[in-house]
Amino acid sequence: MGAVDISLIRLGFYYSLVLIPLGAMLWLGVPIIGKTLIAILRMTLQLVFVGLYLQVVFKINSPWLNALWLVVMIAVADLSIIRGCGLKLGRFLAPLFAALVVGTAIPLLFFVGPLLKRPDLMEAQYVIPIGGMILGNCLRADIIGIKNFYESLQRTEKAFLLTLAQGARIKEAILPYLRDACEAALMPTVATMATIGLVALPGMMTGVILGGTNPVTAIKYQIAIMVAIFTGTAITVVLAILLTIKTSFTPYGVLDKGSFKK
Amino acid sequence: MEQLRDTANKGPAGQDLLASGMPCIEIERITVRFAEKTVIEDFSLSVGCGESAIIMGPSGRGKSTLLRCILGFVVPVSGSVKICGETVRPETIWYLRTLVSYVPQEPELGNGTVQQWLERPFGYKANKEIKDNLEKIPEMFNRFLLPMELLEKDVNVLSGGEKQRVAIVSALVLGRPILLLDEPTSALDDLSKKRLIEYLSRVSGGETGNNGLTILAVSHDPGLIAIADKVINLD
Repeated sequence: MGAVDISLIRLGFYYSLVLIPLGAMLWLGVPIIGKTLIAILRMTLQLVFVGLYLQVVFKINSPWLNALWLVVMIAVADLSIIRGCGLKLGRFLAPLFAALVVGTAIPLLFFVGPLLKRPDLMEAQYVIPIGGMILGNCLRADIIGIKNFYESLQRTEKAFLLTLAQGARIKEAILPYLRDACEAALMPTVATMATIGLVALPGMMTGVILGGTNPVTAIKYQIAIMVAIFTGTAITVVLAILLTIKTSFTPYGVLDKGSFKK
Repeated sequence: MEQLRDTANKGPAGQDLLASGMPCIEIERITVRFAEKTVIEDFSLSVGCGESAIIMGPSGRGKSTLLRCILGFVVPVSGSVKICGETVRPETIWYLRTLVSYVPQEPELGNGTVQQWLERPFGYKANKEIKDNLEKIPEMFNRFLLPMELLEKDVNVLSGGEKQRVAIVSALVLGRPILLLDEPTSALDDLSKKRLIEYLSRVSGGETGNNGLTILAVSHDPGLIAIADKVINLD
């Protein structure tokens, strides 16, 4: 038994629930009502587009098209991270893209291949939703990790330079900052894993149950996706920082302030 | 003291710097600009091995910037900086920094306890062979009137004077032939100042003749100026 379909009229009626938070924002004077309305509109349009596109993609189920869609998703995530961290596009586009590809591909291919034993590693039904979940979490972790890394360096520049003066190479000098950035980036996922299922049923599990699968199978999927997300975020954050230091430091080991938007 | 100077006065190729006669620090006609502002223009300076030199002058004249140029933290738009005859370039800076100890003005020590901070540099590949120098910490603490209990304290609770003395101890324990100091007495009380000046006087050319540390300091302290072999005024 699959999920119950929702008519457009009923969905439109359900939208009226947003009047509650919007009303609260208006009453409290929270100055993001405009941004919220734009975000709701964007969410609707983006999801409609994605839904229509995925219908075509699932129907064709071409491995090349599926891979292309993943590449598009990674490129959008890349740009979001650069914008979210206030970085200069030219210097960070390629290294962050590479980090996202590796961080997404490794857990994804393990998921679809050795775990689910799908004969086609690029099967749309699995690779796009699972890849999307891993990538979405990698995006969040990267923004936290990269912002933490570079902001800490800028804030404690004198201490960092003293470390270089004491004989540290770049990789030795950045190690404490990398450590702190990883902790900041991975803590949300670690906290989620520690409390998952106690507060609410997580998204993957909910979706699989709604699709008609029995709860035990759904739990297995949920465990697997949490492992995939944790693995992907750890790989992405570490790689992103290590790959970006080549372009964000001068040959003398000093942070290049030209790497950041003013 | 002798143990600390294991690497003193040895050049990049292990050559004896004093015998070679080359200056330890040579700044040749450097110009430094930040954005549109010229901070240093066509400046030259030479400090011989075992010599001590003081740079003084009004605020904003680029005194601290000169020290940063030696360490490669600031790159001049023209001119050159040499340490022990070797030009400061991206290919050489990583080795040349191992010949220099640096105490910045108002040092920031990061995180951790004082002991962790003092031990950290000896975990770097460049310093692993001189890890035994850590044994000199108690002697240095005593010399600069720092209580041993300070080792267990978090670096962020230290006073400005304590931070400055801890940074000086760290620089000296590294045992390098060149010492760069930026206003090293600015946060020190009179007795600590006296101890530092006496020590620097002993380890530079003074008491030990030419077989001493090369010191380049930014300072306006009359006591330091008095022991210097040369004074450069950036007026």
